[in-house]
Amino acid sequence: MLTIVFRAVIIYLVVLFLYRLMGKRQLGQMQPFELVLTLIIADLATIPMAEVSVPVLHGIVPLLTLVVLHFILTYFCKISNKFSYFLSGKPVIVINPDGIDYKALKNLSISVDDVFEAVRGCGYFKIEQIQYAIMETNGKMSVLPKSQFAPVTVQDLKLKPEKSTIPVNVINEGKIVKENLEIARMEETQIKEILSGANVKNVKEVLVMTVDKSGSVFLQKFNEKYQTFQIEPLGQVQE
Amino acid sequence: MTKYGWFRLISVFLLVAVLTFICVIEDRLVFSSLNAVNNYCYEIESAVDKNGGIVNGEVASLVDNMEYEWKENEKKLCFLVNHKSIEQLGVEIVRLKTYIDEEEPIEFYVSLDIVKNYVETFQHFMGASFHNIL
Repeated sequence: MLTIVFRAVIIYLVVLFLYRLMGKRQLGQMQPFELVLTLIIADLATIPMAEVSVPVLHGIVPLLTLVVLHFILTYFCKISNKFSYFLSGKPVIVINPDGIDYKALKNLSISVDDVFEAVRGCGYFKIEQIQYAIMETNGKMSVLPKSQFAPVTVQDLKLKPEKSTIPVNVINEGKIVKENLEIARMEETQIKEILSGANVKNVKEVLVMTVDKSGSVFLQKFNEKYQTFQIEPLGQVQE
Repeated sequence: MTKYGWFRLISVFLLVAVLTFICVIEDRLVFSSLNAVNNYCYEIESAVDKNGGIVNGEVASLVDNMEYEWKENEKKLCFLVNHKSIEQLGVEIVRLKTYIDEEEPIEFYVSLDIVKNYVETFQHFMGASFHNIL
C-alpha cells in the first residue's frame, strides 16, 4: 500500500508540473486538441497508480510525450493560422442581423435549442435582441447585442468617473501583508494609525483591509460587518 | 522572449532529452539483459554436451550465474518494463536449478528451450518496431 501512496504522490507532482508548464489556458478555455490531451492525461495517470507491476515510467513517459507534442502543436498554431484553423476550427457566426444561420448550425452539428441555451447563458432571452452571436473555437458563445439592448455604459451617460484603481490587500486574516505594503507604498505605522482611527486596537482583529490609490479603505473585522472610509490618496500605488 | 517563455522552451528541450535518454537506456538494457541470458543458454547447452549430462559443477555454476545476472538485470528492467511480462523468465531459470537437483534432463532441456523462447519473444515485443507500434 505504501508503494501506491508514493506512486500517487509522484504522478500527482508530475501531472501538476506538466499542467503548470502548459499554462493556465488549459484550465479554462480548452481547444479541441487540448481537451483530448486532458482526457488522455487523466487516463494515463491512473494506470501506474493502481497497477503496481506497471512501472511509474510507463505512465510518465507517455505524459511527457503528449506534453512535448502539445508544445509542438501550439507552436505551429502560433506561426500558422491555417494550421490553427485546421486543428481548432474557426469561430462561426451563428446569429446575424437576419436571424439564426441554419447552415452554420448544421456545419457545427448543433441545434436551435443549443443556440437558445447558449445565448440565454449570455443573458439574452430573445434572439431579436442580438446583432451577432459567434460560436468560439472553445465551444463558448460570444454575443454582441443590438445597440438598443446593449448595457448602458458610463460613456453613454457622458459622465467623467474617477480612474479605477486596484485595491491592495494590506491586511489578510489578522496579518499585515508586507509585500502588498511595498506595492501600496505604505508603512506599518500608517496602517496602525488607520486602524486606531477606525477603533481597531490590534491588527489581529482584522479579517481583511484593502486600500486603493484614491485612498478608499475597505475594513472588515472578524465576524463583524465591514466599513469603508476615505483616507488621503496614496498617489504612489504601483499598478 | 519572456522569462516564462524561456522556462517553457528549456523545459521542452529537457523533456525531449529525458524521453530520448529513457528510450535509449531501455533499448540497451533490454537488449543486453536478454542477450546475456541467451548466451548463457548456449553455454549451458555446450557444457551439457561436453560433460555428457546435466549433473555437473560447470552446468550448475552456469545456471547459478545466469540466475544471478538475470535477477540483477530484472531489478533494473522493472523500472522500464511491466514486471508481469518478464517475471516468467526468472521462474523458468529457477526451474532449471530444480531439474539439475532432481536429475531430470528432459525437463531441463524443455525448460532451457522455454527460456530461449522467452528471450526471443521478449526481444520481439520489447523493441521498437513498426509491428509493435501498431
